[in-house]
Amino acid sequence: MKTQLQELLDRAQERYLTSQDLKQFEDYVASLPDRLALYRLLRDQEVALLQRVADQAEAELKDAVGVETLEEGIKNLILVLRYGAMAMLLDDEGFLKQRLLSWLERVLPIQQMRQLNEMLYRFLNQELKQRLTPRQQTLLLPLITTAQVTLIY
Amino acid sequence: MISVADLLRETRLPANYFDYASYLRGDLDLGLLENRRGDRLIAIPQTLVTALYKGLGQETGQAARLVLMNCGIWWGKNFYTRFTESLEEYYGIPLAEMSMATFTECLKECWTTHGWGALEFDPEYQSRGLLLIRTKNSPYGIQIQGDRRPSCFLEAGILTSFFSRLSGQDLLAAQTTCESLGDPQNTFILGLVKRLEICEALLAEGLGHDAIIQRLLND
Repeated sequence: MKTQLQELLDRAQERYLTSQDLKQFEDYVASLPDRLALYRLLRDQEVALLQRVADQAEAELKDAVGVETLEEGIKNLILVLRYGAMAMLLDDEGFLKQRLLSWLERVLPIQQMRQLNEMLYRFLNQELKQRLTPRQQTLLLPLITTAQVTLIY
Repeated sequence: MISVADLLRETRLPANYFDYASYLRGDLDLGLLENRRGDRLIAIPQTLVTALYKGLGQETGQAARLVLMNCGIWWGKNFYTRFTESLEEYYGIPLAEMSMATFTECLKECWTTHGWGALEFDPEYQSRGLLLIRTKNSPYGIQIQGDRRPSCFLEAGILTSFFSRLSGQDLLAAQTTCESLGDPQNTFILGLVKRLEICEALLAEGLGHDAIIQRLLND
């Protein structure tokens, strides 16, 4: 799938961009400072944020799930958050979907990990809501929901 | 206690090795296309493959089948080495520890990313020692003049040697349906050579996929 930006570049090969095209570009550029700030925040808080999720999951699970499975779940969460952060920065949901989710969907034992993932995403969403401003939530949470929908349901 | 910092000690977490956008690279100034490991790739036009089939058919007649199959077998030997090395390097674990799902999905993704068509496994007869592999949009289904048998020889060859090396046994991929004959897909029956040798004769008799499978299961 092409990003909006790539489509604009393609169009520019044939003609000058229209005012509407440029407006699209301007909107994206105007949203960049917010996107960059959120990206930095996710990068800098990656460990702390996911450690909270892991701790809460461990406490709730007790020994219901083996350590290896939980680690696997957390690793996938790390990936989803990283690709999600990049997708948010590029304003390109496809980056997350095509590069990561379509792959995870095929290699993970989705059924077996469903319960664990349900819990991990519940805690992840809680953490994100506490740490992000409403504007930042609008930028990131739809992407997390996409991951949830793909990997759980 | 799980430590996320420990999980992140290796900063790169592997995902999809053959992801098209990350896999295909190149130094275009030098006219080189490469994969993410730096192995050279080239875009072969379909017309070149057609020309190879045509040229071989004209020069060697019926032997063209054998020549192409052997080329496929050589290709498969090298391909196996490259493929497994790439995966071991990227995922950071030996092949033996890789999950079956990851391995087969990588192979399928490898096929599509290189533009070789789409590959699927059908395990219906696996418990009886036969694995079915189906491909669609293969670039190799081209008829050799005067022959009405399946013709993805290069593909049959690469699958034959790839799975032989993987399993450590002498296997054969016998093709029973072919897009070049109007079938919706190409089907390869993968099994032990001594069990599948007979396929060539059955195909020459004009038997179709279902009949061949039945013969193999009953033998």
